Amino acid sequence: MRTTPLLSSLALGAAATLLLAGCSGGNSASNGDDSSGGSLVIDAAFSIETADPGNSYDPTGNMVAKALYETLVDFEGSDVTTPVDGLASWEQNDEATEFTFTLEDGRVFSDGSPIEADDVIFTMDRVKGMEEAKPNFLLAGITVEKIDEMTVKFTTETPLLQLPALLANPSLGIVNSEVVEANGGTTDGGDTAQAFLDGESAGSGPFTLESLDLTSQVVLTKNAEYNGDEEASYDRVVIRNVTESATQKINLEGGDTMVAMDLNGDQVSNLASGFTADSVPSGQTIFLLVNQNATVGGVTANPDFAKAVRYALDYDSLLELAGSGASQATGVIPTSFLGALDDGIVQDLDASAAALTASGYTGETIKLQYPNDYPVGGVEFTPLAERVQSQLEAAGIAVELAPAPFTTELDAYVNGTEGFSMWFWGPDYADSANFLPFAPGLKVGLRAGWTTEMNPEIADLATAAASETDPDARESVFTDFAAAMQEEGPFVPLMIPGSNIASADTVDGAVYNSIWTMDIAELTPAS
Amino acid sequence: MLRRLVTSVLLLLGVTIVTFALTNLVPGDPIAAALGEGASNNPATVAAYVERYGLDKPLPVQYFIYLGNLLQGDLGRSLTTGRAVTTDLATAVPATIEIAIGAIVVSLLVSLALGTLAAYRRGLVTDQVVRVVSLIGLSVPTFWLALVAFNLFFLQLGIAPGSGRLSPQLTPPPTVTGFYTVDFLLNGDGVGFVDAMAHLALPVFVLSLFTVGLLTRFIRTSVLEVLDQDYVRAARAKGLSGTRVVLDYVLRGASLPILTVVGIAFGSLLSGTVLVEAVFAWPGLGTYAYDSATSLDLPGVMGVGLVVGVIYLLVNFVVDLLYGFLDPRVRLG
Repeated sequence: MRTTPLLSSLALGAAATLLLAGCSGGNSASNGDDSSGGSLVIDAAFSIETADPGNSYDPTGNMVAKALYETLVDFEGSDVTTPVDGLASWEQNDEATEFTFTLEDGRVFSDGSPIEADDVIFTMDRVKGMEEAKPNFLLAGITVEKIDEMTVKFTTETPLLQLPALLANPSLGIVNSEVVEANGGTTDGGDTAQAFLDGESAGSGPFTLESLDLTSQVVLTKNAEYNGDEEASYDRVVIRNVTESATQKINLEGGDTMVAMDLNGDQVSNLASGFTADSVPSGQTIFLLVNQNATVGGVTANPDFAKAVRYALDYDSLLELAGSGASQATGVIPTSFLGALDDGIVQDLDASAAALTASGYTGETIKLQYPNDYPVGGVEFTPLAERVQSQLEAAGIAVELAPAPFTTELDAYVNGTEGFSMWFWGPDYADSANFLPFAPGLKVGLRAGWTTEMNPEIADLATAAASETDPDARESVFTDFAAAMQEEGPFVPLMIPGSNIASADTVDGAVYNSIWTMDIAELTPAS
Repeated sequence: MLRRLVTSVLLLLGVTIVTFALTNLVPGDPIAAALGEGASNNPATVAAYVERYGLDKPLPVQYFIYLGNLLQGDLGRSLTTGRAVTTDLATAVPATIEIAIGAIVVSLLVSLALGTLAAYRRGLVTDQVVRVVSLIGLSVPTFWLALVAFNLFFLQLGIAPGSGRLSPQLTPPPTVTGFYTVDFLLNGDGVGFVDAMAHLALPVFVLSLFTVGLLTRFIRTSVLEVLDQDYVRAARAKGLSGTRVVLDYVLRGASLPILTVVGIAFGSLLSGTVLVEAVFAWPGLGTYAYDSATSLDLPGVMGVGLVVGVIYLLVNFVVDLLYGFLDPRVRLG
């Protein structure tokens, strides 16, 4: 028994460890508060750089900004097709170049001071002044002027029917100009207020900022001065950074959190009882790019090759990899946006074979490039690429997979040096104009080596869609654009991954929104 | 001592050169990676970003600017978080060191017991069992073990807390050292201390398993060598108790090689926590290193490289000091 003391120490250590764990109490954060509207815990894989709305342009950042600040325009729930009044109502001229916003009477910031036109002007000019800020591009070509204490006018250089939708972006949340100016805020580009706004908020949203730790958690508390129509139901909300979706699921089922933002389709379908999930198509579209520049892509530059690929794929089979909430992409415009097509391509191997013959393809191996470390909506690109490879090989197209890290592959994609690749696209704001860059001669089109001269008809459709101001005519031209892209474009839209927000049955209102991910103020204790 | 200091500085300089070169050799555009689709299409934003981070300067110039700033304690500004790298590391490093220290202490205690036991029972069933346990520790994938342990102890048994460093209803302590356990104690907050310790338990357990496997095998071998020494036989012949023989003669005699391996294992723990931190949502150095690397965040990557390099050097220095303490024949060069 010479080793007894050592073994005893070991046993004691193990017991102490378990005791400590037990003291903290597993499944700790159910804490009984969820039914009383006390506190709420949300798990999310963080994508946030600041709580300053003017510098924020990330999914988690937008969700936090949405809770802390209000915008002139809003959307209801997950519907991003129809902008509604936010802090203001508006009127616009027929040319969609002048938009007059009238602020709602009596609304106040979290310090009780009234929201006035000067705050709106300062907010917009501040973002315009900060050239290095990510949301800066949202206000390109837009000027704002004060009409009176409660009225401002936005003027655009070109017709911009999507301006109201653009102003619903949480990055353009209205800040308390007096408070921000007193803490380094300016409109001349020398703004230094971010540090202040990372410590406390200066908005009129349903919540105020209690603390911000970009690596671990953001804590919000109810705005006692809030007098809008979306009052917070919880006194305190903790948003935690949990990058692993498997951990989010365990935390949710164990009661440590009440909402999990990033579960994939499989995890949602295996949720235990007592939990529900809002599974809807996200705003992202995963697509294949078929380069039209012969120097870059070789045989892929023949438009018939893209057609052969388009009809060779079994889209339902691809969707099996995406799980709950995902849907087939019916075109470059996702189904929740104006002008989206009703039906997607159906596999037609005869049409594919005919197009392949017409393309001049002679059996050469085509390299399929894609980012292999950047799942979109829970969809891993490697298994998806493998399935595409398998289906194309069955249709007579030899494919070699060429994965690379996102940051490496992004360079080649942006510079248009990929012959055949798999990527994704999501909206910057809630309007179909976001998808016009797929047109020939525009940003994404050029990444596929697709110049205006290669298809002037589609280029004209994109121009018409961008400038059309009549709502009905606008829908029609966007639909025409989407249909033409589906028939002749160098892109093969594959799927819209699902967005799965899972929550305990004790919480209502966990609904996905493609602009701000989730409106925390809409979360309420289940009745 | 002076020679050692100069060597250390040269080593750190080497770390900066290698990290800088490797990060810049990786094909990719850090601007597009950091700004995203919308902003990177805005020339004004890109120009302001490039100027702010000095990315328009030639690489050698960027490197020497970095070195100059480094001498003033400035590790630059992270391209992803936009904050000073020193600020980011000030939260990430203590979080990782806290679990690394826990893991090395637990590993050492367990493996000392198991390794010594196995050596004493050489060739017997106990020895075989310990060797199998050690092999399992070395073989089990850490990521898998972390998920299984979290599922079992938190979800199924309910005896461990959820992920993170602290329960969500608690507020982190005022930062003094960055170690939650220590800072809660300094703040006189017993509830916070117990909660922080409880959150440490599972990550420490998971991280320890591999180190236990490694150390147990090494300690067994070292102890076996010492057991055959004359001074151990003499101690037994004098009639000393088994515990005294083990503690005062066997383990002390075997301590030098064990100490060397412990130092190496501690360094490995620091750089091997990425997956464990991911599963337990632990905002530490591993997570920061992964985020920086995948975003081509050069200042972030270099900051991590430097910190790990400095810690390695410090650990080696401490190990060397302990050599002299444990065996007076050894003197620091």
